[in-house]
Amino acid sequence: MFGAPIMYVLLFLSLYVEVFLLVSFLERRVVARLSPFKLLRDEDAPSVAIVVPCFNEEKTVATTIESLLALDYPVGKLEILVVDDGSSDRTSAEAERFASDARVRVFRKENGGKHTAMNLGLSQTDAQFIGCLDADSVVASDALRVVMPLFTNTAIAAVTPGIHVREPHTFLQHLQKVEYTLSIFNRFMMAALGSVFITPGPFSIFRSSVVRELDGWKYAHSTEDMEMALRIQSVGHLIANAPTAIVHTTTPSTLPHLFHQRVRWTYGWLRNAVDYRYMFGNYRFGNLGLLVLPFAIFSIFTGIYFFVRVLLFAGLTAYEKVVQFFYAGFLPPSFVFDAFYIPSSTLLILVWVSVALVFALICIGSFIGTGKRVPPLSTPLFLLFYSFLVPLWLSVAVVRAAFKTGVQWR
Amino acid sequence: MENPIVNTRTARWSTYIVAFVITALIFATALYVSSYFNDKRIADIQATQDNISIDILSLETQFDLLAEHSCGDISENSVLSNELRPLASRLSYLENQPNVNQEELVRLKRYYTLLQIKDYLLMQKVTQKCDIETVFILYFYSNEGDCEECEEQGYVLTGLGTRYRELRIYSFDYNIGLSALQTLIDIHNVRDELPALIINGRVYYGLHTIEDIEQILPELATLERATSTSSEVEN
Repeated sequence: MFGAPIMYVLLFLSLYVEVFLLVSFLERRVVARLSPFKLLRDEDAPSVAIVVPCFNEEKTVATTIESLLALDYPVGKLEILVVDDGSSDRTSAEAERFASDARVRVFRKENGGKHTAMNLGLSQTDAQFIGCLDADSVVASDALRVVMPLFTNTAIAAVTPGIHVREPHTFLQHLQKVEYTLSIFNRFMMAALGSVFITPGPFSIFRSSVVRELDGWKYAHSTEDMEMALRIQSVGHLIANAPTAIVHTTTPSTLPHLFHQRVRWTYGWLRNAVDYRYMFGNYRFGNLGLLVLPFAIFSIFTGIYFFVRVLLFAGLTAYEKVVQFFYAGFLPPSFVFDAFYIPSSTLLILVWVSVALVFALICIGSFIGTGKRVPPLSTPLFLLFYSFLVPLWLSVAVVRAAFKTGVQWR
Repeated sequence: MENPIVNTRTARWSTYIVAFVITALIFATALYVSSYFNDKRIADIQATQDNISIDILSLETQFDLLAEHSCGDISENSVLSNELRPLASRLSYLENQPNVNQEELVRLKRYYTLLQIKDYLLMQKVTQKCDIETVFILYFYSNEGDCEECEEQGYVLTGLGTRYRELRIYSFDYNIGLSALQTLIDIHNVRDELPALIINGRVYYGLHTIEDIEQILPELATLERATSTSSEVEN
């Protein structure tokens, strides 16, 4: 009875946010501002420590460290702190291979979670800035030179990079590539709106003094990168984004792995949202409190609602077909084209507009992230399939968050 | 890089308002476009019905001239199979669409009902006069939620119509409120226990499967079996 009005309301709100982001983007004409980075002179370069927290990363940690060593940054001003968080494999041995380089230090500790590894790194450095690079990611050689000039604005406490999918092979990884392209746009616009609420593990850089002032990283439902961003925002600091600071990260190649990762992310986001609920709808936090945070929660429930509606519709249609077959036998389908039956309901038109807007945002994300206006080739598949995958983990995460079941990293 | 963050954390109301106006415009456009296409569909059906009306008039005139001409001049399938049948599925499709002018839709359905009755009466006359072997089924249904088996009966008749192309099935909305239909209901004394079928002048209530109807109508076996093209019975 209320199905159609609810759909209209949800579609209106979803479209509103897409339009809002697009309008904000056009208003700020940020495209023109993308390229003119202030060059960082070596003598002005601040000291930076990059922490690589590892747990059983023997296969990938070497590549990650190699990419850090290849960073174009004054040698005396870069530290690489590899923290083995109680791995049971050869992670430490792999990292120790680089210990001969003066920039690399390797630490071993009992397993305590990513936040403890980051805090160990923080305690072992006096660098002005501290970053994180997950051991499944590699960073472009100019990334730090792109990021650091942003910190000349003293209100900025952290800078996030442009994250890309590393060497996609499977169908799911290609879908994620499109998703990450869309995220590049979202992250960039969130930063422009002062509303970043995640500082991702791959190569987010923080002002060390602010992290210390906030007492370092803390356990946050296995999503420390979200909690830290919310904490930074809650005390009034800003988080910027440097989309041309490119990081490639390994993404799950199979559905179970992807499912597990996304349940963790969504679960962590929901539990952190409860912890920081006072920010929601709070004008004091500007766009973040008024629009971005409420919509982030809203989109989870909208995704589930749309999915359930589509499932119900598909189920009812299938049931009707079965009943029809039972009573009428096989009815040969008519292949005669009749323009009369071209679907043109308001709801369908709005869904098409929404999909077109998402496509436009992906194109902009591609332009911001790579300078190419053409989106990834798998974009149509993403638009077709991904919205059916996402609600699977959203639903599980919502239930688990409601019952506070907790989630594991692996 | 020029910092994209400065002074942007604070919400700019103008952006919120502009986004709202654009979204509202998108919604209004979608409503207009959907409504425009539905109006086109209604106009399409109207045009078809007018054509059928002319065809029936033409057939009636042909029939009046029968005294002077042979039965071979009457093409008994021309109206129903070519134009009247697709109308049922078109009306049925339109009934399930939102944003359709309901008054207009009911008017079209009443017109369609009238055309069916006229076709039925005319074809009965043609059948008797020309000694053509034709089987008629009148089907009464309700869309008001008080007929649990109407949907299934609709499927059965669609299946039957697909199997026997020469079978003439006329489906009537029992509650359409058309005096001509009410007269047909009264003549056959059809009670509001739907679904109801009139086969060879006798009323059958409740769901009847294809096999049931084939038993009631053994003459179906003499009709040519179709091999393709389905036609939907309105429900």
